[in-house]
Amino acid sequence: MKLATIGVGNAGSKLIDRMLEFEQETGRDLCRHVLVINTARTDLAKPEYVPEDRRVLIGDTHQKAKGHGVGGDGEVGAEVAKNDIDEIRRVFDDVEIHEVDAILVAAGLGGGTGSGAGPVVIDELQKMYDEPVYGLGVLPGEYEGGRPALNAARSLQSFVTKVDNFIAFDNDAWRSRGQTVEEGYEQMNRELATRIVTLLAAGEVDDSDVGENAMDSSDIMRTLDTGGVSSIGYASSDLDKPEGLLSKYKSPDKDEEINSMDAAKIKGLVRRAVNSRLTIPCEVSSADRALIVFAGPSSMISRKGIEASREWLEKEADTVEVLAGDDPREDSDTLAAVVLLSNVTETPRIKEIQNQAVDAQNKIQELDAVREEEINSLITDDDNELDPIV
Amino acid sequence: MKLALFGVGNAGTRLVDRLLAAESALDGSLTAGNAIAFNTTPSAFAAADQLEDEQMVVIGDTHPDVVAPEDAGADRREGVGGDLHLGVEAARDDLPEIRRALDTVDDTEVDAALVVAGLGGGTGAGLGSVLLEELKSIYEIPVYVLGVLPASDESDRRAWTAARAIRTVVPLADAVLPVDNEAWDADASAAPVEDGEDDDATEPFAAVNEAVAERVVSLFAVGEREGPPLSELRMDPNDIGRTLEVGGLATIGHARTELDVESEGWFDRFRRLLGFDVPEPEPQTDAMGIKQLVKRALESRLTLPCDVSTADRVLLVLSGPPRELSRKGFETGRKLLEDETGTVEILAGDEPLDDAESITATVLLSNVTEVPRIEALQERAVDFEREQAVDEGSTDETPATEQSAAAEPNSKAATTDASTAEQPPAAEPEMGDERETDGEPTPDRTVDGQADKPEADDEATDDQAVDEQAASDKEDGQETGEEADEDGEHGFQFEDEDPESSTDEESDDYTVKDPFN
Repeated sequence: MKLATIGVGNAGSKLIDRMLEFEQETGRDLCRHVLVINTARTDLAKPEYVPEDRRVLIGDTHQKAKGHGVGGDGEVGAEVAKNDIDEIRRVFDDVEIHEVDAILVAAGLGGGTGSGAGPVVIDELQKMYDEPVYGLGVLPGEYEGGRPALNAARSLQSFVTKVDNFIAFDNDAWRSRGQTVEEGYEQMNRELATRIVTLLAAGEVDDSDVGENAMDSSDIMRTLDTGGVSSIGYASSDLDKPEGLLSKYKSPDKDEEINSMDAAKIKGLVRRAVNSRLTIPCEVSSADRALIVFAGPSSMISRKGIEASREWLEKEADTVEVLAGDDPREDSDTLAAVVLLSNVTETPRIKEIQNQAVDAQNKIQELDAVREEEINSLITDDDNELDPIV
Repeated sequence: MKLALFGVGNAGTRLVDRLLAAESALDGSLTAGNAIAFNTTPSAFAAADQLEDEQMVVIGDTHPDVVAPEDAGADRREGVGGDLHLGVEAARDDLPEIRRALDTVDDTEVDAALVVAGLGGGTGAGLGSVLLEELKSIYEIPVYVLGVLPASDESDRRAWTAARAIRTVVPLADAVLPVDNEAWDADASAAPVEDGEDDDATEPFAAVNEAVAERVVSLFAVGEREGPPLSELRMDPNDIGRTLEVGGLATIGHARTELDVESEGWFDRFRRLLGFDVPEPEPQTDAMGIKQLVKRALESRLTLPCDVSTADRVLLVLSGPPRELSRKGFETGRKLLEDETGTVEILAGDEPLDDAESITATVLLSNVTEVPRIEALQERAVDFEREQAVDEGSTDETPATEQSAAAEPNSKAATTDASTAEQPPAAEPEMGDERETDGEPTPDRTVDGQADKPEADDEATDDQAVDEQAASDKEDGQETGEEADEDGEHGFQFEDEDPESSTDEESDDYTVKDPFN
């Protein structure tokens, strides 16, 4: 697949940056167009792989934002994006849309810019283009607190109704002890970038003659066609390649001797992908459609293994709409299986976030209601005998 | 968040000087050189070693009642001598001078203005209020106040001044950060609060100022340090702005934990000093430690002690070497704040400082509403106001005696009653009722005060006494403050559609009818 990728806000931009890093490292060419949009000037300096002229600051003339972010407030984020919509549209003009199959908008849903500006950007893209627009959204963890949960719960509604499919990532599922703040987010972004790029880059070379098992873009798009929220599973296995300098001089047909993984092993890899951490934990059987991509040297992927995996997933996901295919990466020293579970409807985390958001909204309203009164009674003596000075 | 600093009065000048000193220790700029100190006497300027000469402006020195340093004596304190109204008047007379000084500040370079003043002083409260009004009218950026409250061993007049100042600046400013000198002073001398503070007896409240400066700078300088933007969850100026935008009183907590360089043992450290290749100790990303640090910051001596559960919004900044900032600790710390403060409006960020030898947690709690110190100040202030009314009733019954009161600097307080009594009641009809309360004929006031006195003396029954008084007032058909409170009418003074008009009117009080001229 060929993508135009747009990161909105800090988390979205970093995610796009990590996707670019991963595709460069692995020789993929998925992101044909890239753009990051932020309300904070400083955060726009963070990406390492996004070209300078593809970073857009919005809201620098907005009274509240002024290029310093939106203070975690999704409403301000949306307002800022609406005000600067012309600016955003202008940058889209550079995107030669006929070159890409789809557009991916990545955003963190807990922050103000991603949750607020993200849906505004998507609205505009949907208006301008016929190509499908996918969302890639990071959901805040429980410990990030009530405000991010409220942003996320509200934004999720906008995202899911506006995009053609929403791929969710749950921060909580990827939290682990011993990480620093820096490592924590870095690691999560890398994990997610690995999954998303491995999945969507399949079939990017549609004219190749790599056999009938090869996955192509239309398969992926068909699977995503369901709408709703999707989850991705991933597992990889290192291949025992001959090591050392000498291997280079060995005859090419030496590769033939590396036995392709047997069907059971391949199926095991898929099982691991589904049972390990999904980007958002969900009831696998609630999936509407599913798709498996094997990325690695084609010699390693047996047709039998693909078929066995497909059958297994058909049972697990309780759907007959399961596609499986390979994405040949001859130079790769790993074999990876990515599983896309499209339109999963049982995701406990989303319920939790919604509950947390309702509580948060109630608390916010309670505080708003008494704010003025409490300040006044604090600064006024009991009998209001003391006057202001000026 | 870049700040323009405006110090007012002696305390304000000293504190701004400390803030600038703390800024100079940063790898970055907090003020971009935008700082001015205003005072009614130049004396305190001499002690300022960070402020440039042109950043220190004397205001009101041409006013006949403002005492020049060379004229000051045992019975005449220099400047406005603690007289709030003189502070206001001197400032208003010199507004052009103030405006000229403000022209030197580039408000487009900064994200907010911070007025720093001692709220118990005549200059801090008087000139400070006028300056705040001016800044609010010319700036689009938020204007905050860092106001030092008088300690309980300071005079009643200072308590009264501070209570009125709070009443004034809170509605005007976007947020007020009071500093409770008392909470700090109590053990500042006994045990230094943080390392790096020295007990410099030559400067009053040196240790307090130092500690306050550290807190204010750790908070506002977040994200202003030079260097690559490594931070994962960077605090933007708008994060601080959003936290403070609810108004009211805000307070800062701060805790530090020194990193455990000891753990590798003296021998290894010694060997490294000698140039041996000793591996660096493993980082201790200790989730529990970070959570405890956040907890300590919340339980630390807040710049304004308060019931933290009344906080409206909260901001947390963790600063330290990135390898030490545990994500889990960070997140559980944030959760802890949500639990303790009962609000969900919590913004949290990290500030990676590669070379730091400690981790600090700085917590900003905005719009806290249970603040015992403010209540205590108000009680003292009310007693003081009543006493003044009594004094005035006996010695100062007619405007003709105003001149004699002026000669006596120690009894200047009851200005409001006397001056407002003379104010034309028709000037603003909707304010008339309240005005009348304030401007009641002095004898009535005196009777109330005296009747109340015996009961009010007992602290424990004070509230009750006030209630009783309020009840009896109501029976008399008078509008009492408490009644106004319930009706929410008390808000009119600062929710007035046109604050300028009431301001001008009141300024008349001070310029034309102030009995102490």
